[in-house]
Formats: sequence, structure tokens, C-alpha cells
Amino acid sequence: MNITEKILAKAAGLDKVEPDQIIEVAVDRAFTHEKLGPLFFKKFREMGLTIWDTKRAILFVDHGVPPSKVMDADLITETVKFGEDYNLTCYNAEGISHQLMPEKGNVLPGRVVVGTDSHTCTYGAFGAFSTGIGSTEMAWIFNKGRIWMKVPHALLFKVSGELAPFVMGKDLALHIMSLTGADGANYKTMEFTGSAIKVMELDSRMSLCNMAVEAGAKNGIIEADEKVVEFLKGRTDEAYEIVKSDPDAAYEKVYEIDGSKLEPTVACPGSSENSVPVGDVEGTPFTRALLGTCTNGRMEDFRIGAKILKGRKIHPKVRLQVIPASKDIFSQCIKEGIVQTFLDAGAIWCNPNCGPCAGGHYGLLGQDEVCVSSSNRNMKGRMGDPSSKVYLASSATVVASAINGKITDPRSLV
Amino acid sequence: MNLVEKILARASGREKVAPGEVVVANVDSLILHDLSGYITSRVFEKEVKRKMRYPERVAMVFDHHFSPPNEERARILEENRAFARRHGIHLFDCGSGNIHNVAVRNGFVRPGTIVVGSDSHTPVHGTLGCFAVGLGNNSNAGTVMPFGKAWFKVPETIQVKISGQNKPGVCARDVALWLTGQIGEGGVVYKAMQFTGPYIKELEVWDRWLFPLITIDVGGKCSFIEPDEKTVNFVKGITDEPFEVITSDPDCEFADVWEYDASGLEPQVAASPTLGNVKPVGEFAGAPVQWAELGGHGGGRLEDIRQAAYILRGRKIAPGVKFNLVPSSREVFTEACREGLVQLLHEAGCTWFPPSTGSNQAINMGAMAETEAMVSTHARNFPGRNGSPKAMMYLGSASTVAASAVKGCIADPREFTV
Repeated sequence: MNITEKILAKAAGLDKVEPDQIIEVAVDRAFTHEKLGPLFFKKFREMGLTIWDTKRAILFVDHGVPPSKVMDADLITETVKFGEDYNLTCYNAEGISHQLMPEKGNVLPGRVVVGTDSHTCTYGAFGAFSTGIGSTEMAWIFNKGRIWMKVPHALLFKVSGELAPFVMGKDLALHIMSLTGADGANYKTMEFTGSAIKVMELDSRMSLCNMAVEAGAKNGIIEADEKVVEFLKGRTDEAYEIVKSDPDAAYEKVYEIDGSKLEPTVACPGSSENSVPVGDVEGTPFTRALLGTCTNGRMEDFRIGAKILKGRKIHPKVRLQVIPASKDIFSQCIKEGIVQTFLDAGAIWCNPNCGPCAGGHYGLLGQDEVCVSSSNRNMKGRMGDPSSKVYLASSATVVASAINGKITDPRSLV
Repeated sequence: MNLVEKILARASGREKVAPGEVVVANVDSLILHDLSGYITSRVFEKEVKRKMRYPERVAMVFDHHFSPPNEERARILEENRAFARRHGIHLFDCGSGNIHNVAVRNGFVRPGTIVVGSDSHTPVHGTLGCFAVGLGNNSNAGTVMPFGKAWFKVPETIQVKISGQNKPGVCARDVALWLTGQIGEGGVVYKAMQFTGPYIKELEVWDRWLFPLITIDVGGKCSFIEPDEKTVNFVKGITDEPFEVITSDPDCEFADVWEYDASGLEPQVAASPTLGNVKPVGEFAGAPVQWAELGGHGGGRLEDIRQAAYILRGRKIAPGVKFNLVPSSREVFTEACREGLVQLLHEAGCTWFPPSTGSNQAINMGAMAETEAMVSTHARNFPGRNGSPKAMMYLGSASTVAASAVKGCIADPREFTV
């Protein structure tokens, strides 16, 4: 069995599972946030349901922070109230769920984690099975701690070599999108392995798994290693078991990628599958840039950004919004002088939250505005007006481009 | 003549002016923000339809948005940018700070000049010895653009003399809030106020600023403080542009002289629905708050951030309270970073936001549900200004805001400072 099958088998209490088998699994952690939780809170109360385990059901307020509309303020107070009434931990405006789940020790290797957000698949970076589900399903899980699933078919991505400097996990994710297409991994598991993955920082691995859902995948996953063990120190007291794929595990398809040949990659507007080497779009002008989100709002992103930015200025026509994914990341950025570097360069430094990525608020795009973003989606109208355009790129490419006011290969600035 | 009369006389080419006269005067700076500026720009292009006469004197500051919350607002900002490009005016984009701080820090406000703006708090610039007034968003500001002039009725002037020294834990903002209550919300309609007296002279410029800030909220036309050495050094530290200091004649007469003694004053809080509802903090102590904020036209200054840091050093804000810190300008954010205050307040549980007017009018942030309440350094507390008309806004000094954030309810800062 592969890693995903082994985790699911264990959570279902079975010795063995195979693709397409329908199983019922016990969930280790489940969360919802203020945009999708309130869809079931009222019914949950009306039905008189109780929470299966108040230590394992978690709430976040991360999308509409701070509220710019009374409706958002109401959703937040409703979520906070639900947490108070049912004795659940609610992380209110402390950062993005996908960063806080691992940071707060809620993601352990070998476990099953679900959330009402499509990018829940991010935690595969820690060797966990994690996937996004709907609100009504979550109501059931909050009550029972269980859910049925179909065991997914598996795709294996073997990435050999080592990514070149200033080429990041995000570039690999975007490159893979061009191989699979936006529906090429529908309901499949995407497993990433190989030397390039092994040497990759956890932050890059998170952005790689984060993008799995963009190819339609059920989950993305990487075997946990000593980097994960190190990360979890001080974050959890729970014992956990690292699960690895069997040497004879079967995969529907194996992709072999030479990581050392990978270039910075940019997804052109419309879909993340429209990805091309940065050279193909170099020079494209734009006025908006976003560095942050659950895909690329972490230390690796800000460190590489600050390294490129040090002593330089953002192009006068570009507004670069910088949004750390959590309070701890913000704090670390202050300590390392990164906030200062970005402020001095003319960036707009923001509070931890999801930002404009989902098109809710906080810096939406107007008619015909063009944005280079470290986020994960660029469908028509995703971040504002339907005529606006979003190019997806790594944090290094976003910052390098923001300096020049046109899409730029970050390697050209170092 | 007093300072304002002398400025108006000079700018209208007259030897002398007297209260009640209408003059047409040259304007030195026109400052606009992203909302009012949009309206002004439409009027200018669609109805006035003339050439921008002095684009170098016009500045537009995006401060109600540090990021557009919806497509419609993104469109407005894009149109504002296109307008600025078309006419060559100065543009300070999202994240620069609030309009009045940005105007000062970029040299648009100099002693002896006339500063007009399409924001009601524009009279704040009287702090530097200017004639500074708010104009209507549309025709009035729109016609300044082609002519570089505006008409004004010379106001009568009231001299407001403040003496006394504050007790520990009480500061200039408490005095200004208290004065709002003393003068009353319609207390000086279309009049000018000269703030003077030993209390004002002692203050540094950014604290003096809190007094002309109240002008519009007591119905005044403008306010001013006589420039002195502090004023001159302050302005020279910002701009190389020459300026001429104008001061009131020693024998000038005032319509009235009002004297106030600030000694013995308690920290003050103004609770919704109006600024006039200002009382000693004890009257509201214990009222729960979920939000706290340093920000707005008069808040988010370095002085406010330092006050909050003094109280929050080694402390945490109360669970359930969100404390927003909105620097009044990019320079303030950078300086707070240098002084280690960004880190200190972050670790106390506060949240930093891009320089802007923060929760002012709840455009980017600060919308409250009907059960919520905020304590802040903002300038206004009207019902519905921050979300639900039932939500409460308490205005106080940065110390009071910080003390209240620690306790989760309106609190007397002297508990922490004395």
C-alpha cells in the first residue's frame, strides 16, 4: 500500500484497503472557519447535537479579518459564540487556518485531518492525510468524528536532483499543474518523493501539497522525515507514527521530473494549469503584487523576498501587499528585520489573514488590473473584477517582479 | 489683524480684512482623499471641464482604503490613479497613511499658507499656523483645481486659552476631548479658534495637533496656533520649501476669550452617540469592549503607540479583545519598528495594520456586529459609523485604549501608569 492507503486503512480499522473501496474513517482533527461554519451552526444547535471531542474540533476566523462589512462581523461573532458555547478552541484573527493547524500542533504524521476549506490538503507536507470537505459533512463529523471516503487512486511524482537557488516548491507545483492539467488528478492522491523533495524546506513542501487540489486531487502527501519531527518538537505531546509507502506500492501513473532543470514557473491568467517557464512571460507589466496566503505566506517566502529586496525599492507603479500567514510568522519577521526591509522598500505590510486571495475583501482587483500573486488560484474574477488578471508565481518571482514592475526571473536579480 | 485674517488678506491681495467680509484667496495646497477625491475628480472633469491650474499643489491620499474590499472600490481607486496621472497631481497610494499626516509629512502644510481639503478634519493644519479649512467635495474643491482660488467668509475668532498641567496618566487627547464637551457640538459655528496659553505652548507639535483637530466637531470654520520655534523647527525638518511665518498682531481683538484650566482633569471618554457625550473615564469604567484601536485622523501617531507600549510592556491584552494598531503614516510604522514597539505590541497580542485611517467609517475594517463595542483614538463615535447602529464606540487617549484592552472593558489608565 502507499502512504495514503496505509493511513486510511488504519483510520478505518482495516488491515488493507484498495482504490475505489468505500470506507468509514475516524478523523483525528476537524476544523471549520467563519465563512463556512455558520452554514451549519444553526442546524447543529437546533438538532441538539454535541461535539464528539472538543479537543479535536477547531474553529478559525481567518477569511474576513478584519471585517469590512457588518455581515462579516456577524459571521465572526457567530463563530466565536459557537466556540464559547461548545467549548472549542477558536483562533480568532491569529492567522490562516492552514498555517495555524500545524503551528499549534494539530497536524501529526499518519493522521486524518479534514477541514471545510479546499486547501486543507496542505498538511500532506507533514505526512498526514488531509482533505477539504463541505459544511454539512463537517456538521456530521463535529458530532460523530467519522466520515466515509472512497480510497483514491494514486499518482507518484518522483522529483530527482535538487531545485536550483531561487527555484521553490511553488515553481514545482506550478510545473506539475502543466503536466496534469487542472483536472488531471481528480479524486486522486498526489504523492511527492525524490531527492529534490527531501532537501526542500517544509514551507516549500507545504506550498507543493497546498496546490494538489488545484489539479483536482483528493490530497497531496509527502513522507514525514526528520524535518517534520524537528518542527513538531514543542508543539505536541502526542505520540505519532510516521507512515511510509511500501516499496511495492502501486501507482496509477508515475511522473519523473528532473528537479535540477526546473525553472521559476508562472501560471498565466485563467487557470493554474496555464503555467510556463518565467522566461515565456518575462516583461509582462502589472501594477499589483501579493505576497502571502496559505500557499506562500511563510518564513521561507519572506526570507527569500527580503534577500532579493534588500537595498532595493518596489517599482513606483506597483503596490506590493505582504501578508504573513500567522502571528508567529509576523513576529519572526520583525525579529529578523524583514518587516523593516519590506517597509523601507515601499511594501504594504498587512495583518495575518487570508487577504484578497478568495476575492472577499482586502485588496481586490479593479477593471483590467493585473496582479502577480503568490496565491493558488487565478480563475477569471477570483480576486476581483472579471476583467482583472492574475499571474501565479513563487514568492521569489513575485518580489523580483515587484521591483521591476514587470514579470522578472528572480535569478536575474541575484 | 490676527493670523488667519492676515493670511486671508495677503492671499486675496488686500491690505486688510475684517470678520464677515467675503474674499477670494489663492490656495496653496488642496488635499483630497480616496473617497471625497473621487467625487471632486468627477465634478472637475464632467462639470468644471477646465485645465488643472497648479497640479503640483494638489495631493490625493488613499487612506480610507489600504486595500479595496470589493470590485467597486477597486474601480474607484483605479479611476483615481488614472485621474492623478492625467492631471499630474501628487498621489499617495494605499499604505501611505492618513491624509492629514501624509500632507504634513510631505510638505503640503507650511506656516502662513492656505490649505484646503475635501475632508472635514482639514482644519487640523491650523496647528502649523495655516488657514486650513474643509471644502465641499464637489463644486468647491472642484473649482479650486482650475483657478487655484476659493472664496471664504472671514470668520470671527475666539481665543481659547488653556492653562494648567496634567496629572500623570492624563494627556493632551483627554484635554482635547474634554474641551469638545466644554465648547459643545455647535459651540463655535463658522468661527475660528486660536488655541493658546501655557498648556498649548508646552506641548510638542504632534500633541498640539489634537486641538485644531476638534474644530469641525464643535462647528468651527478653522483653528490656529501661533507658530513658534517648535513649529519652525518641525516644518524645516520636513521640507526645504521656503515659508513665511505669519503671527497675529499683538493688539488684535477677539470676538471672545474663553479660559480653561486643565489641571485636575481626569482621563476622558466620549461614548456614542456623540462627541459631546464626554465624561471622566470612571463614568464608563467596566463597560465591555471587544475591539480596541489606535488609528484614525488623530490617532495612530508615534506618541499614541508609545503610550500603549508603556502600558502593554510585559502585559497581554484580555482574551476576546482584538487590538488594532494602525500607524498614521509609513514613517510612523518604520519608526515604531526601529524602537522595537512593533514587536513589543505584537507580542502583547495586538495586530498591526497598514498605515491608513483604519476603522474610520468601516471601509477596510472595523465593522461591528450589534453586540460589539470599540474603544479607540478615532475622531468620531456616531451610531452606524462602524457597522451596526447599535454597536458602541468609546473615544479616549491611547493610554485609556490600551488599559481598556488589557482589562477587556473601559478602564482608567492610571491603574497602570501611576
